[in-house]
This record gives sequence, structure tokens and C-alpha cells, in this order.
Amino acid sequence: MYKTAEFAPERPGRLLEGTELVRELSLAFGPSGSERAVTDLIAGQLYGTAERLSRDRAGNLFALYPSAAKNAPTVMICAHTDEVGFMIDDISSDGFLRFRSLGGMDPRVLCGRHVVFMGAGGPVRGVIGAKPVHLQSADERQKATKENDMYVDIGAASAEDAGRCVAVGDSGTFVSDFVLFGEGGGLMKCKALDDRLGCAAMIETLRRLVRGRRRPKANLVFAFTSREEIGNSGAVMAANRFLPDYGIVLETTAIADLPDVPENSRVADVGRGGVISIADRGTIYDAEFTRGALALAAKKGIPAQVKRYVSGGNDSRNIQRSGTGARDLVISAATRYLHSASCVASVADYASIRELLFAILTEYDFKRKEASGAGSVR
Amino acid sequence: MNEPDLVDLIRELTSVMSVTGFTLRGTGRLYELIGDFFDEKSTDRMGNHLFVKRCGRENAPKILLDAHFDEIGMMVTSVKEGGFLTVTGIGGVDTRILQGSEVTVYGRSPDGEERRIYGVVGSTPPHLQKPGEADRNRDIKDLLIDTGLSADGLRRFAPPGTPVGFRPVFAELRNGIITGKGFDDKACGACIAAAVAGVRAEDLWGDVYFLFSNFEEDGASFGGAATGAFAIDPDVALAADVTFASSPDTKKRETCELGKGVTVTLSPMTDVRLSKLLMSLAAEKGIGVHPSVATRHTGTDAYVINKARAGIPTLDIGLPLRSMHTSAELASVSDCEALRDIVRLFITEPAFGKELENV
Repeated sequence: MYKTAEFAPERPGRLLEGTELVRELSLAFGPSGSERAVTDLIAGQLYGTAERLSRDRAGNLFALYPSAAKNAPTVMICAHTDEVGFMIDDISSDGFLRFRSLGGMDPRVLCGRHVVFMGAGGPVRGVIGAKPVHLQSADERQKATKENDMYVDIGAASAEDAGRCVAVGDSGTFVSDFVLFGEGGGLMKCKALDDRLGCAAMIETLRRLVRGRRRPKANLVFAFTSREEIGNSGAVMAANRFLPDYGIVLETTAIADLPDVPENSRVADVGRGGVISIADRGTIYDAEFTRGALALAAKKGIPAQVKRYVSGGNDSRNIQRSGTGARDLVISAATRYLHSASCVASVADYASIRELLFAILTEYDFKRKEASGAGSVR
Repeated sequence: MNEPDLVDLIRELTSVMSVTGFTLRGTGRLYELIGDFFDEKSTDRMGNHLFVKRCGRENAPKILLDAHFDEIGMMVTSVKEGGFLTVTGIGGVDTRILQGSEVTVYGRSPDGEERRIYGVVGSTPPHLQKPGEADRNRDIKDLLIDTGLSADGLRRFAPPGTPVGFRPVFAELRNGIITGKGFDDKACGACIAAAVAGVRAEDLWGDVYFLFSNFEEDGASFGGAATGAFAIDPDVALAADVTFASSPDTKKRETCELGKGVTVTLSPMTDVRLSKLLMSLAAEKGIGVHPSVATRHTGTDAYVINKARAGIPTLDIGLPLRSMHTSAELASVSDCEALRDIVRLFITEPAFGKELENV
């Protein structure tokens, strides 16, 4: 098993809140397998909240908030720190970078995007090149360019020149700023909202619990996990380390609340609160926990919505099946254009998700596995 | 007149909105950026901008320098509930680069209030895609621009017909390579303006007319340069536009190299003696210059300028550019400097004026 190392977070320049926290987290560089800049940022933002943090060699970061009660159940709250990105797998003789995607992306969102790779000497900017439309055949104009045929142009003169700043195996991601837009600036756009929104909600919730001296009834494990986007997830290891009775995943989910999309294909709507899934492509969620979370949201007047399509998937699939099984719940931010340079989510939804997570952690009646039938998930 | 920093000027000029047909929306900012380099400035009914610098002599030859100010873009076709817009392309937009890109909608209310609206071009989530759909390029008419605004607000500020441009973005990469939108052709315009800015009037061999034209990207017409050249009636013309630089997905014969200087087009449509004179004088000065061949159409304003009036001796100069017609076009600063220098050579070297006297 991976060893963990405890450490004390370093004091950051400033503790950030709300959209400012989402902004800084989303701008941080963290394609799957290169999450360190993100976990360092999270650790700093937990300064004064979590006295001891721990990390493992797989890129996971943990903040524990134990219960005072004996034999308390364990609840793992989880968001992934990685984002979709790219890895260089070849450098052409004329200095262009060939790449493979880290995570599933529609190749049609890649052409023309500005990207940045983390070389040994620091970040290297480039763009995903495109054959001029004038030189494309009629056939080429109809077809989407395949990832295999794409290249990143960093302005290098040759392979040797490119090799001075990047190497095969270096990872990259989109260059994309954080923009508040729409009515009253109610929407936010950035890369990596998937899943830095979840990370931000966890940070702010843990701060609120600690500041309010709300000693939880359950042992809380705040797990900031790696490598979700490539499936080989740090959450598997995290769940097997802590063997939680409950798993709560904070995520983003791809939606289609767009004009002319029929109601039964929209999945969820931006602005209507956290999205609670009954089932997705990876998990059929714990009915009791899901129902309880929805009831709590209704009781407290916190906006929440049920996911209306069986699509997508997240680390719940791993957490539910860890150990002898865990009851699981996912709360997602309804997010347009997921896995692109321009993810769009709602500021109000972010607040609703934080409120719901706080309500669940302080009011839900968590029980140990033994009390509800050892090992049973249903 | 102090010469401007070329990269700064390219950055600022390319960020001005000048979607084909909407070029006069950018006049104010254009005048701020380059107006002071010239003695006279004006616009015309075709959406052209004309800047003149006089040499100070009576009956001086008229030298036309041309670049097109217009850039590819989009135009609103409908307003949808939920804050979405549909669009159509203006000019040859490469639709492959649109999904996930960011745009600026240049809105204007009926009473003239201007409002820039931020928008994201949406992509389709996997569950809505039919098998094989990801292999096909999406038609621009099926794309939605997400503004997050109310449909009422959009109907007021961004009704059908409203221009939409790529959101300005600019970055410097390795080896003096710069990337952004609208380099086609405002990067060339910046080089021309910088070339003129650094010259004393008495060093010009004629009056310089810089036509920053409209309608080049409306490939059917090249109407701005055609009418602009007719109006100016120049003795000689030099058109500067971007040309294809090599990339892994292009053929060597249809492209040139980035970073090796500018191209001079050899063609039945361009003046051979002037072109060769320019190439030899540029080479003497150490300016990177390479021949390029066009047999049917230069693909630039030179195509119409050379047949304006009773015919105008015309040169066609190319600035190598990668990923043309995207929001991440790439050019080399050294090529831009070569273009600036070759334009300056052209307007200050009396040999060109003398060559014009030959038939």
C-alpha cells in the first residue's frame, strides 16, 4: 500500500472564498497525473482549518476531521483534482508536438485551442494547429480532425529546439481564463471547472465546519483525489485506505439545457441547484442516502435537482465498491461544454452545492455498516 | 514621428473588431493606433479606411499600399430562449475550431448603445451524439453561442445581423512566434503603418496611400480594394496579405517557411520587373525574401487592384502564417519585421519610381 506522509500546510498569500477560490483552483495546472500544483493550492487554502494534512504517492491529498464519538461511521467526501489534458507522445523532426488526450474529449473541441505544457524548465505555450481552411479538400471540411492528426505548434524550429523545453511524457492542458458572464455575472467559464468546483466546495465546507466548531457525528475524510479523468483513479486507493461507510462525491456533470433539446435529453439545468444522480453509466446510487439528501434539501429549501438521464460517471463507482461496500451519493454542478477549454457552470449552483453538503454533514443520520447490515450497499 | 513597437501594434490592431462589412465600427480605435502616422485619414462608403502621407512635392507619383482591414467572423441569425444565439459565418471561417471557443458579440441597441457580449460556442455532450457523429464536422448553423443573457436583452442588443468576432487573444511563443486572431490581415496592416511611421516625408519618392480595405474576406468581391484602387488611381500598388506557412498537414509546394522572411508573388497578374527589382534590392539589404507563384488568382487584393482603372503595376507580398482563419493564427516577428522593412524599402527607393517610366 502507498505510504502517506503528514504535513502542515503553508500559509498562503490569502484565503480565498466563493468564485475567487473556484477561479484560482481552476486556473491551476493539473492534468491527470500532474495534480501537485492543485493539491499544493488546496493545502494552502486549508491553512488554519486543517492542522495536519496527508498525501500519498498517487497524488491524493487528505484532510481528516474526526468525530468525538466512539465507533463513529466514516464518511469520505471526494472531489478529483485532475483535469482533462494532453501528454506529448512524439516530437516531429520539424518541432511539432504530437499528443494523446488525458481523459475523454470530443476531438472537435481541440483544433485552434491555446494550450500549455509543463516542461522541465517551466510552462511552454502553444496552439493546436489547424490546416488552413483554404487548403482543405471538400471531404476534409466535412470530417472532424482526428486527435492522431493534430499537433501542437510551440514555435519550435526543429525537434532539437523543441527538446530544449519539452519532452515526450510532458503533460499539458488548455489555456483558459476565468470569466463571469451572463445575467448579473451568474455564469462562470473556465477550463477545469470539472472538478475544481467540487474541490472548492469541499474546502469551504470544511472551513465552515471547523470555524463553527461543529464537531461531526461521523469521522469525515476530505479526499482530494487524482487521475479521475483517465479512469485509473486515486479515489480507488483513497477508499481502500479509509474504508468509508459512506461516500459523497462532489462533481460536475455534462448537461444539455440548450434550445431545441427535448426535456428528456437535457439531463439537468444550470441554475437549479446541485444535481443528485439516481443512476449514471458507472453507478446505481444508494437509494436511502439519495432519498435522504433530497429530503434534506427540500426541508432546508436548498435548490437541488435529480439527474434526468443515465449518462456519465464518476468516482462513486469506485467508492461504492471499495472494501465491503459504501453507501454513496453524488452532488454535481450542472455544467455545459464539459471537457473543453470553456466549461460553463452557475455561481448560484455552486452556493447550493456547498449548502447541501454542509446540511448533509451536520444533519444526516450516518450509521456504521454493522448497524445497517454489514457490507450491504442497498 | 516615433516608430511604434511592431509587436505592440500588431497585438492592439488585431484585437480591434473588423468583421467583413462591419469595418467602420473599428474606426475610432484604428485612428488612435495609426492615425498620427499619416497626414490625412478618411473612410468611404465601401467601409475602406484610407491613410495618406504626402512626400511634399507637387504632382508626385501615387504609391498605393494595400492590406485588408476586414477579418473573418460571424453574424447572428436568431435569438433563442435561455440566452443562446445561432450564427452564420462571414468569410471563410474554419468551423472546426469553433466548438469550445470564445467569442465577442458586438451588440448595439436600436438607440445606438454599444454593448460587447461575451459568449462561448457550445459543444455537444456525448449522450446527445449519434454514433459516428464525432467524426463529422458540425455545420456552423447547428452551433449555439451561449451568452447567459435573457432572450429579451439579446433581442434588443444582438438581433439577427449583429456581428460576432473571435474573442481577442494574443500570446508570444518560442523563437519570436506570436499567435492570436485577425493576423489575416491586420498584422500586415500593422507592418505597413510601422513602415510609413518610420520614414521622413522627404525620403518618400511619392505620396503614400495606405488603403486598409474592406470585403477581402468576402472572396467573391474583393470589393473594397477594387473600388479603393479605382478612387485613388495610383501609379503603382503593393498589396500585402498573409500566405500559407508550412505545417505537418500541408504540402511543401503549397506553402512557404515561417521565419525566413516574406514572399513576393510572381504571376501574370503582378508586375514582373517591379517584383524582381524588389527581390534583388531586398536581398541586398539582407531582408528575407522568397518567390511565390500564383497562376490563376493571387487570393489577395492584388487580384483586383492590378486591373483597376486601365491597369495598375502591382506587387503582391506575403506574410507567412500558420493556422490561417482560426483564433490562433501564428506568425513570426522576424517575418513581420521583414515585411515592414521591405515596404519601407519600396516607398523610399527611387529606383521603383524610375522603373515605372519604362513600358
